[in-house]
Amino acid sequence: MENWTGILRLDAEVRNGKTVARNVYFQGAYKVMRPIYHDESGQACYYILNPGGGYLDGDRYRIQLTLDKQTKLTLTTQSATKIYKTPKSLAYQETEIDLKEGSYLEYIPDPIIGYRDACYKQKTVIRMKKGAKLLFSDIITPGWSPDGDRFSYNMLQLINEIYMENELVVYDHIKLSPATQNMDALGYMEGFSHLGSMIVIGEETDPELIDRLYQAIHKDTKEFKVGLSLLPTAGFTLRVLANSTQTIERIFAECHSIISREWFNITPSFLRKY
Amino acid sequence: MDDNILSLFQLCDSSFPTGAFSHSYGLESYIQEDRVHDQASFLQWLNVYLNEQLIYSDGLASRLVYEALEKDDLQKVWQLDRMLTVQNLPRETREGTQRIGERMLKLMESLYDIPVFLDYRERITNKQSFGHPAIVFTMIGHHLGVPKSTTTLYYLYSTISTLVQNAVRAIPLGQTAGQKTIQQFQGPLNRATEKIQGLDEEDFGIVSPGLELSQMKHERVNIRIFMS
Repeated sequence: MENWTGILRLDAEVRNGKTVARNVYFQGAYKVMRPIYHDESGQACYYILNPGGGYLDGDRYRIQLTLDKQTKLTLTTQSATKIYKTPKSLAYQETEIDLKEGSYLEYIPDPIIGYRDACYKQKTVIRMKKGAKLLFSDIITPGWSPDGDRFSYNMLQLINEIYMENELVVYDHIKLSPATQNMDALGYMEGFSHLGSMIVIGEETDPELIDRLYQAIHKDTKEFKVGLSLLPTAGFTLRVLANSTQTIERIFAECHSIISREWFNITPSFLRKY
Repeated sequence: MDDNILSLFQLCDSSFPTGAFSHSYGLESYIQEDRVHDQASFLQWLNVYLNEQLIYSDGLASRLVYEALEKDDLQKVWQLDRMLTVQNLPRETREGTQRIGERMLKLMESLYDIPVFLDYRERITNKQSFGHPAIVFTMIGHHLGVPKSTTTLYYLYSTISTLVQNAVRAIPLGQTAGQKTIQQFQGPLNRATEKIQGLDEEDFGIVSPGLELSQMKHERVNIRIFMS
């Protein structure tokens, strides 16, 4: 089972007020670029590259990330995670993240695109210490299909486990199986093709923050649907159903900007990918 | 039919006061959007709710709790109590379910003298556990010696029949349409119970996006007859 297609390991710490890597290791079909510092806050931004261009049959990827006390880091991808057909065994990605006291992680990968006959499972486990903060999003989208089939992938499964001081505080499990489910029906994707999820955890969260976020993003429209709710720990989750990545990214950017302003008094930088 | 099954029937009665009658689990959002408006559309919702949410949460948990009780593995029971609560991301349904669980436990404590109830109560008081109706129900089923899958089936039945009563009031449906729905649901309930026996622990907590979103949206519904 220790046979990985790509491995990425990154341990970050603070040195002279700046978040830097104490240890970076990557192997196989993962690469990480040198960090970019968008402003004076010392927050580092790392981009993950998948030089292979996509996940194939039986591929297995592993990411391990540790943020030392007080580190601030943004982790994103350079492009979408493309899942191609997996005739024999599903593609798999496992991510383990450790956030020490006072650290802050923005984990904002590009969308996962499921192409025809793709099966993909992703498991993300995040362990947080008191006072750590997290902003984590993902977007699931169907890949273009020659016959216009809106959901040609077989199955996309995302499991997120978040622990606070070793206690499980969030268990988020989405499994979309167009091969066996009618995605357009009531209760499923309800006429939408894209699903976005965002989880934010931070001690400052209160019901008024949820109200402000809701005011900022809610619209009476057929373009998207949003759900926003407080978690059993200080934080919230946001779900968006829409028909384009741009719509979901716009809503996420709005929330990201409000959080950055209220919690860190900064304006987040646009994550350039080209 | 033996006395023990009759004892479990008591919990399935829709007049059993747990407060479940004041929760719609997102159904009210669909009613307000006019997406659920008659028996046919309600049946559609009920089927999705049972098969795309309930079996992976309460249903699977009921089976796993029963198996843990058979092995006297209480740690596993408390772990499932936490998992059931933290996988329920919409706040209203999570907190509502917790309240129902607590009330059910309190009521059962006055009807039965089972040591595990004292442990559960103490953990809830100490904020180590949350309280969940599927767990309380399964504890009773196990105590009474009702078989595992029967316990799960009756739990699902009690949940579904309460939801039908709620739909009769809220949509509204006629009493006859309500009873017809319960009758038509016997097959789906049996199949769901069978499916739960074959699920893997890794299937725990799967939720369908539309259902969950409607549960989150309920927080923003201004005029409401249900608390979730």
